[in-house]
Amino acid sequence: MIPAQFDALMPIVIFMGLAILLFFGGHYLSVVLAPKKPSHLKSTPYECGELPVGSAWSMFNVRFYVVGLIFIIFDVESVLMFPVASIFRELNDMGQGGYALIIFLSFISVLIEGIAYCWKKGDLDWVKSFQHSHKKENK
Amino acid sequence: MFLQFLFISSAVLTVSCALGVLMVKNIMHSCVFLLGSLMGIAGLYATLGADFVAITQIMVYVGGVVILMLFAVMLTGGNDFVSRAQNLLGLPASMGNKWTYAIGLLVGVVFLLTNIQLIRGLTKALPVKTITNEFPSTVTQIGHLLVKDHVLAFEMSSVLLLGALVGAAIIARPRKQN
Amino acid sequence: MNQTVVSYLSQYEFYDFLLALFRNNQGVLAFTLYLLLALIIVGMCATIGGLGTYAERKISADLQARIGPNRVGPYGLLQMLADGVKMMTKEDIMPFTADKKLFYLAPLLCLTGVFATLAVLPFSSGFIMADLNVGIFYLVAISSLVGLGVFLGGYASNSKWSMLGGMRGASQIISYEIPVTISILAIVLLAGGMGFGTIVGRQGGLPHEWFMFHNPFAFIAFFVYSVGALAETNRAPFDLPEAESELVSGYHTEYTGMRFGFFALAEYIEVFVVCGVAASLFLGGYNVPGIKLDILPMQAAQFVIFMTKTLVLYYVVIWIRWTLPRLRVDQLMSVCWKYLTPIAIFNLMGCAIWMVVFNGKSIAELVLGSH
Repeated sequence: MIPAQFDALMPIVIFMGLAILLFFGGHYLSVVLAPKKPSHLKSTPYECGELPVGSAWSMFNVRFYVVGLIFIIFDVESVLMFPVASIFRELNDMGQGGYALIIFLSFISVLIEGIAYCWKKGDLDWVKSFQHSHKKENK
Repeated sequence: MFLQFLFISSAVLTVSCALGVLMVKNIMHSCVFLLGSLMGIAGLYATLGADFVAITQIMVYVGGVVILMLFAVMLTGGNDFVSRAQNLLGLPASMGNKWTYAIGLLVGVVFLLTNIQLIRGLTKALPVKTITNEFPSTVTQIGHLLVKDHVLAFEMSSVLLLGALVGAAIIARPRKQN
Repeated sequence: MNQTVVSYLSQYEFYDFLLALFRNNQGVLAFTLYLLLALIIVGMCATIGGLGTYAERKISADLQARIGPNRVGPYGLLQMLADGVKMMTKEDIMPFTADKKLFYLAPLLCLTGVFATLAVLPFSSGFIMADLNVGIFYLVAISSLVGLGVFLGGYASNSKWSMLGGMRGASQIISYEIPVTISILAIVLLAGGMGFGTIVGRQGGLPHEWFMFHNPFAFIAFFVYSVGALAETNRAPFDLPEAESELVSGYHTEYTGMRFGFFALAEYIEVFVVCGVAASLFLGGYNVPGIKLDILPMQAAQFVIFMTKTLVLYYVVIWIRWTLPRLRVDQLMSVCWKYLTPIAIFNLMGCAIWMVVFNGKSIAELVLGSH
């Protein structure tokens, strides 16, 4: 007797539930077992023994944001490529390999164009592009 | 049984986290609530049997957009500027005054009525379907559609993404001061 | 159609017996079986994670001509239990400037993201909790929760070291996801499916049947995947988020006791998971060389094969950690975007062309002329 197929998602939910259970179980154990002697000095954020100066929540460099933006675009491209890649062998067996190859390669070539543009313009450099801009500002 | 559980928990997660996004004053907490809401939507897709779309939801939104939002918040230095101003309902002032709420309510009511009309028409036309136990793969179907029927859209989407990439790079580039 | 461990077990007679025991309630029986097996897997992975910390110290000691832990139990094997007990009995300290809710949430996100990937890891042809059609895609997607956990852990601590570590960690994890995903795409292209069952089933037990040696592009893709996976799990030489010589301890500087333990556990299990994925995508997975039988004892042999490959890769990961120096942060980004990503895209194109030109045959098939 073959069981219903719908439960293929059940293990995912169970594993997530186990993670949450383990998390709270661990917390409970630590609440029971661990000592609790809070002091003000103990709960200052670590700054190599000095008293912390200001908040750590400061303005971060825009480079992180650029990396995030480029990542999302590549992410979406790979999401679009996944279904095509997974039927590529099937199409090839059906004798439509050349057609699929042309479609696939033209899609990827646009992707390469994008990364080549970013590379050329220095958006992929972590440090360099900013040094360049600073030099220009100094002039 | 399990699908009902998944549906209800996903729906509760989606709605409650969406409310949380609006209600909390800390923008970081808003982002994290948004994460929960997007996960809930992925769960809703999964209950519909749209496995590929569900995973795409997680991959693009949870893995990408939420992190990007957190980075964007960090551009301004995180939670240092919490708005203290409040409106009539005790919510942050930036969420609007009584006029915006009134207009929003009106739009909501109209939208709800239209939707009820639409859905009523749909349920009459479609055969009543209970939740099936079948869970066929949608990936192959999507792949075939992308390669055959919608090949132009597939190729154009890459051009669109190229445009987005170039635009993102230009906007984020440091300005030259001449 | 998605295969699961329950639908595999249902072809044996004892399943009907179990079903009668549960009064023909399919759902409850499936839930019970899943829960039981999930507990086994979690227990096993937690043990492997614990042994990972032990192995890490023992191997590093070996590489540096020291002895390493040898006091607790035979050869110091029980060191991990001692460490676990120690973590539980340490006080939980939270900085008073911290964002308390997110401080609690961050380890949970890491743990959930890692545990959820275990659901699709193929231990053997039957013992795979859910062989989803979108298996590898799901694994890549859900493991991005770890990056969020790392970022929020760094942010919520409100310590400068943590914040820097968290920002670095998140940007590193998302950057290296691109070459990893594109390398995986090359394998999906060769296998013709995203499910782990399809991918591993397409390979054989002997090395020339593995996808790693299918064609030269897949061979390079394996190394691109390995480097990217090292970076995604924050392992040396890519351990910039927790670089101890510059950032104290990175994103978990302020975490103590059990909460730190969750981060460590998640990291070690994630290393196990990426090693398992590498083994099943590139190294033939659970295929037993030479034998193709579908009987229950074969599952044990397959399990042993899978675990052997995975643990060998685990050893290599630790070996790399104690051999290579750490990268600088600008080198890290240029390695990802200027080397690995173009190489991965090139590999993907190469695999696609190879598929069409040689009609999907591997090098060995072309040379030996089989099939």
